[in-house]
Amino acid sequence: MKVAVALIYLEYAAHSLAASPDSGRPRGVSPDFAKFYKDAATFTCISNPSLSLPIARVNDDYCDCPDGSDEPGTAACAHLSPLSPQTTVNGVGAAGSNTTLALPGFYCKNKGHAASYLPFTRVNDGICDYELCCDGSEEWESVGGVKCEDRCQQIGKEWRRLDEQRQKSLGNAGKKRKELVAEAQRLRKEVEDRIQTLGTQIEGGERKVGQLEQELVEVERREKGRVVRGSVPKKAGKLGIVVGLAKQRTEELKEALLRVRGERDASATRLVEVEAILATFKEEYNPNFNDEGVKRAVRAWEDYAARDKGAEADAAHDRDLDALSQSDKQNGLDWEEYEGGDDDESETDVLYAFEAYLPPSVRTWLDAKLRSLRITLIESGILADTSSSSSEGESKAVSDAKTRLSTAQKDLDGHRKDLTTHQEDLDKPFGPDDVFRALKDTCISHPAGEYTYDLCFLSKTTQKPKKGGGSTNMGNYVSLEQIWVDEGAVPADGKGLGTGLRWAMKYEHGQHCWNGPDRSTMVVLGCAEEGEVWRIVEEEKCVYRMEVGTPAVCGEAGLKGKGGRDEL
Amino acid sequence: MLTLYESQRRLTAFLLLLLTFCAYFTLVVSVKHENFKTCDQSGFCKRNRAYADTASSTSLWQAPYSLDASSVKFEQGILTGTVLKKLINSDETVRLPLTISFYESGTARVTLDEERRQKGDIVLRHDSKAKKQRYNEAEKWAIVGGTSLSSGAATSKGSEKGTTNVHYGPAGTFEAVIRHEPFGIDFKRDGVAQVKFNDKGFLNLEHWRPKVEKPAEDKKEGEEAVVAESSKEVTEDQSTWWDESFGGNTDSKPKGPESVALDISFPGYQHVFGVAEHAGPLSLKETRGGDGQYSDPYRLYNSDVFEYEMDSPMTLYGAIPFMQAQKKDSTVGVFWLNAAETWIDVTKSTSSANPLSLGILGSTTTNTHWISESGLLDVFVFLGPKPQDVITAYSELTGFTQLPQQFAIAYHQCRWNYVTDEDVRDVDRKMDKHRIPYDVIWLDIEYTEGKKYFTWDPMTFADPLGMEKQLDEHERKLVAIIDPHIKNEGNYHVVDELKSKDLAVHNKEGNIYEGWCWPGSSHWVDCFNPAAHSWWKSLFRYDKFKGTAKNTWIWNDMNEPSVFNGPETTMPKDNLHYGNWEHRDVHNINGMTFHNATYHAILARDKEEDKNNVRPFVLTRSFYSGSQRLGAMWTGDNQADWPHLEASIPMILSMGISGFPFAGADVGGFFGNPSKELLTRWYQAGAFYPFFRGHAHIDTRRREPYLAGEPYTQIITQALRLRYALLPAWYTAFHEAHTTGAPIIRPNYYVHPGDEKGFAIDDQLYVGSTGLLAKPVTTEGADGVDIYLADKEKYFDYFDYWMYEGPTTVKVAAPLDTIPLLMQGGHIIPRRDRPRRSSGLMRYDPFTLVIVLGHSGDANGTLYLDDGESFDYEEGAYIHRLFEYTSATATLMSRDLTPASSSPSKKTKEYLKSMEKVRVEKIIVVNVPESWNGKKEVEVSEELEGKSAGTRMAELEWHGKVEGRAAWAVVRDPGVLIGGGWRVGFA
Repeated sequence: MKVAVALIYLEYAAHSLAASPDSGRPRGVSPDFAKFYKDAATFTCISNPSLSLPIARVNDDYCDCPDGSDEPGTAACAHLSPLSPQTTVNGVGAAGSNTTLALPGFYCKNKGHAASYLPFTRVNDGICDYELCCDGSEEWESVGGVKCEDRCQQIGKEWRRLDEQRQKSLGNAGKKRKELVAEAQRLRKEVEDRIQTLGTQIEGGERKVGQLEQELVEVERREKGRVVRGSVPKKAGKLGIVVGLAKQRTEELKEALLRVRGERDASATRLVEVEAILATFKEEYNPNFNDEGVKRAVRAWEDYAARDKGAEADAAHDRDLDALSQSDKQNGLDWEEYEGGDDDESETDVLYAFEAYLPPSVRTWLDAKLRSLRITLIESGILADTSSSSSEGESKAVSDAKTRLSTAQKDLDGHRKDLTTHQEDLDKPFGPDDVFRALKDTCISHPAGEYTYDLCFLSKTTQKPKKGGGSTNMGNYVSLEQIWVDEGAVPADGKGLGTGLRWAMKYEHGQHCWNGPDRSTMVVLGCAEEGEVWRIVEEEKCVYRMEVGTPAVCGEAGLKGKGGRDEL
Repeated sequence: MLTLYESQRRLTAFLLLLLTFCAYFTLVVSVKHENFKTCDQSGFCKRNRAYADTASSTSLWQAPYSLDASSVKFEQGILTGTVLKKLINSDETVRLPLTISFYESGTARVTLDEERRQKGDIVLRHDSKAKKQRYNEAEKWAIVGGTSLSSGAATSKGSEKGTTNVHYGPAGTFEAVIRHEPFGIDFKRDGVAQVKFNDKGFLNLEHWRPKVEKPAEDKKEGEEAVVAESSKEVTEDQSTWWDESFGGNTDSKPKGPESVALDISFPGYQHVFGVAEHAGPLSLKETRGGDGQYSDPYRLYNSDVFEYEMDSPMTLYGAIPFMQAQKKDSTVGVFWLNAAETWIDVTKSTSSANPLSLGILGSTTTNTHWISESGLLDVFVFLGPKPQDVITAYSELTGFTQLPQQFAIAYHQCRWNYVTDEDVRDVDRKMDKHRIPYDVIWLDIEYTEGKKYFTWDPMTFADPLGMEKQLDEHERKLVAIIDPHIKNEGNYHVVDELKSKDLAVHNKEGNIYEGWCWPGSSHWVDCFNPAAHSWWKSLFRYDKFKGTAKNTWIWNDMNEPSVFNGPETTMPKDNLHYGNWEHRDVHNINGMTFHNATYHAILARDKEEDKNNVRPFVLTRSFYSGSQRLGAMWTGDNQADWPHLEASIPMILSMGISGFPFAGADVGGFFGNPSKELLTRWYQAGAFYPFFRGHAHIDTRRREPYLAGEPYTQIITQALRLRYALLPAWYTAFHEAHTTGAPIIRPNYYVHPGDEKGFAIDDQLYVGSTGLLAKPVTTEGADGVDIYLADKEKYFDYFDYWMYEGPTTVKVAAPLDTIPLLMQGGHIIPRRDRPRRSSGLMRYDPFTLVIVLGHSGDANGTLYLDDGESFDYEEGAYIHRLFEYTSATATLMSRDLTPASSSPSKKTKEYLKSMEKVRVEKIIVVNVPESWNGKKEVEVSEELEGKSAGTRMAELEWHGKVEGRAAWAVVRDPGVLIGGGWRVGFA
């Protein structure tokens, strides 16, 4: 057997020496590290320069260096990792030795494609890792008979084709982004313009309101003093007032009664519905589902159902209600009887009657005095202002003035609110170059699994079952954030987030989830030519993550970190 | 307006109801006790406990069973006779045929039947179609061997009067002393009684009798015994003879009372173990009250007990009615072969020490009382004397544990549910990305279309084959769930066939039984039916279960069976199975028949379609004695809390000594969200479960290891990689279990049967015969643990070789990133240190051998290795080596343990060829002698085809003692082949 073993050794040696005739580097070593492997006789561990080995121990499938640097082309040092059990024999705890792997991985030259590093754990494991090592060079030992042919030409070609597409697409995306930015600027300008206009309008409005207030005071003053006989309605008499009030109140009560009755009926129907739901729920709930909440609810329902049901909506009550809501005459109330035809005199009548006996000069004087006294009394709150106690009693002049004022006031308020909204809008973050302003309220739709998902930028996310049924709110837009994503390399088709800081829109407080939280969605944005949902994941119960492509985040402003092919 | 007020009040009530709904979601909850019976609520249990009380408390008690001496015959290892039961207040007797078999293995078996039922000479009530016999087919399912009769067993006239003696067992050292009146048996080893039957007179076999309608006396329950004593006339509590209600379900009991019960005593034995599955300590507690003891017996009635509680004799998902008793240097056992609901009372009595005889301590006797609802009284007795002897004898009867495929003992990633095929692919990619090894990803019930098994939800799993292909690229597997309840819905081929072929379980009227489970209205396949068994096989064909590939394996859940609307969440006892056996008779076996059908279906799939000769992998939740032949089990729906983590260890140890060692608990806890610390500690513990699977409930947050964040993800990955590195040791332990029944993880008493102090220890474990001793941390915030070292031996920390010495209890530091793991001196542990993505990708990796030198300076260890997937090992395609280090010569030898064969099979040759380059890359020697300081080389010699092939030198690197750490040395790349014979000389 010794012969056989020796042969294996020879094979190793042959491999390690003849591995890279073109470069002279041992297997698995990249140009960056070539300088450490130059010496023809000895090798010095990269991070542990005190340790030197005969060159034959490089790539002999035995891990000699504490940093693994003597095995750039095998898996012999793959266990040197903080992810592996930390044992003494791996040098852990041995003072002075650096056990961090010195090399980033097995270097695949991938001639015809881009070179890359492969984790040492994947060297000689019998699997062709074409994704990272298209030349198949990592399976040089052919364990289990595996043969990994060099596919770099084909893979490289395909990659370049896709990359070309991607570059083109990126170019287009860049253009689109510019358009979006322009659109966003236009929208911003619009807002700014509007703010300016509003400013002017508010100024004018304030002035107008001031004038109208003044005017109203004048008119009222004038009107309060004017006592016009006959303009006071008959029913302004004591009883009349009472009757008027009573009638009005009764009408209100009747309306309220009808409304409440309607509400009651609706509630009762809903209650029946809810009870039916709960009864079915009790029948069908799964006692095995192990949900104590559900079990308690069922128990509570049983208690509730067993309790006295309370008075049924009984017919007598309803009859009473019917009667009460009928028109007044049928109800035995004839308001007119009280309103019209009585001879009771009002206080004003008495006042005017007394005046009639005076001589005209005195009467004019008295009239003036009375008028000013009355105004004084009214203004000092002693006498009721009957002229304005009800709209009917108010003079047209006053009410006109009031209408004018309130219209102006309303306009002004409207403008002010508008202004605030627009100013807030200006202050809100819309990403770099304000670009998301252009996306606001635009929506994209994406079918996945049993649902169709809708994403409305800066608004909300929803899901709708394909089988039919209403849509469910998965969150309302809350804020814009930048988050770190680590999805490895962007795939060749460009539909991926890659690795780095990415813009994300946070949507929260969607519909509550049975046995879970309120639904929420994190929408993470990657660069793409078209707005498109790439992937939807329910990361946890009712917590969703959407990976979305949009030109809005293309270019440097949107992409920090690396998005290239290197995974290591 | 009153009406309005009323409706408002009701609305308010409704709102309160809603509030109640929401408020309780977050509460931690526990088992719903009212769903499950106590002994008092189980008629036959209550009756037999009362019987036992009467027998114990009345001096006048005369056990009514006697062996008719004239009927006794002994022929070829079998003793037959008739036991007569004298009826109360009558001169009548009931004839009970007795068979006592003595097997070559040294096992004795006692079977008691009832003549009238046996002959079918009884009348059933309610026009029942049920079979009249006592259930006598349990052995058909449970027993597979070990029943060749003893040729050496011989009867002798008893030395005592009124006894018949039979000598049997190894060199005739066992003896059964059969007492005629009252009937009882003492089993002796070397002349000392070890196991006693009916020593206390609790033997009770409820004979058939017609129901006599008595004038109503209106007795109150529970007063009968008192009445009986005072009136000096024995009467029986008949209140539960004819029907029994529980939780709104009534059991019609057409056969009347038919329980069997027996007291089994273990004189001088302080501890009993076994009767899995229960969530309690390994050493069984007393069950008749008292401080810290249980008040209910251990119950075996396979049930879907959700949110099960800790430290309880309550029944769980499976039943193994096998018990071992332990005293210093002696282990004995009994196996109660009965598939009906069974309760076991355990009590202990201590005789006080005689103060005059110094040094003689009081001795404890453990008494057990076994009570089953129906069936035969059928008990096997094992007389040891070692734990291994008992378990091997039991395993010969019920079968050895399956040798699983290697992937099955690696790490499994499960969740209820991975929701789409893309989700599965994503988890697969992420595990690779984070360099976390795993072998299997699982699908719970949501993959199906509307809970119809053998279908895929077309919306969420549109491309199962593509998904399986991706997994296969790194030799990974998919496990999909298939349950026994079949959705009762039109146009579903499975239920259509089930109905048209009449293969479902029937109700008491003989119609197809309908109940509720996940899919709603469902039927249950009756795997007791051979036709159902064959039909079930056909369903797993690739053209029937479309979307499955050869890397798809199966998980059987809910096979207790779990029936949501049934009594105690299972089937009515008067349901009828194939052959018209009542469900009550077969209940505890039911889960095994389903598991068995699935196992054979997967076997058939391979035989008929793939022809790869591969071993099936099927996980089951419900089990019985014998299920170990079919796959793995897990401890069901546990919770994400520390007590459940703690309980998992005694539970899995208990499975190990019960002949079903391929066991695990859901890592992380099924219900609830574990803290990151708990999750991390659980992975560290899970790395020492024979079956190692992370699982989580659908309402929990995601918890794949890479989501934990640092430092947790890194620590979890270390635990996973530790498991993978030690796979050769684990696989060897599985092989040992497969050939001897030995537990894979072993409790202290099993390894040290002479150390009484350690008998009750159940929170630390030995891995196979490797000498690895682990004590997983199961408490929050712990920074260290106490490890009990039973023997006078050196132990070394696995990671830094810190030295400890027994016998004592040592403190081992265990910050979060550390697993307390020691190596016992005297062992050689095989490892594979190169981390790979899955176990399949480690197939050709080189080995590391760790030699741990203890007091003697000698060490040994074994390695079993095969292709890890096929049955080719049965044809010799394996490597089995013994590594021996001898201090006297300072040599390490690798010896062949395969039986010598002149012509190795083709498969053997092929396998060995495939492994011909696999070498030992490193030999680590821990606790090397001081004299090795300065040694630079060792001499390596290999043999080639039986001949020495010369010698060469390999480098030795010596490391001296540092602080409390042992000195150690490494042989650099000895290059010897793992399958070859060789010698390394250190001298």
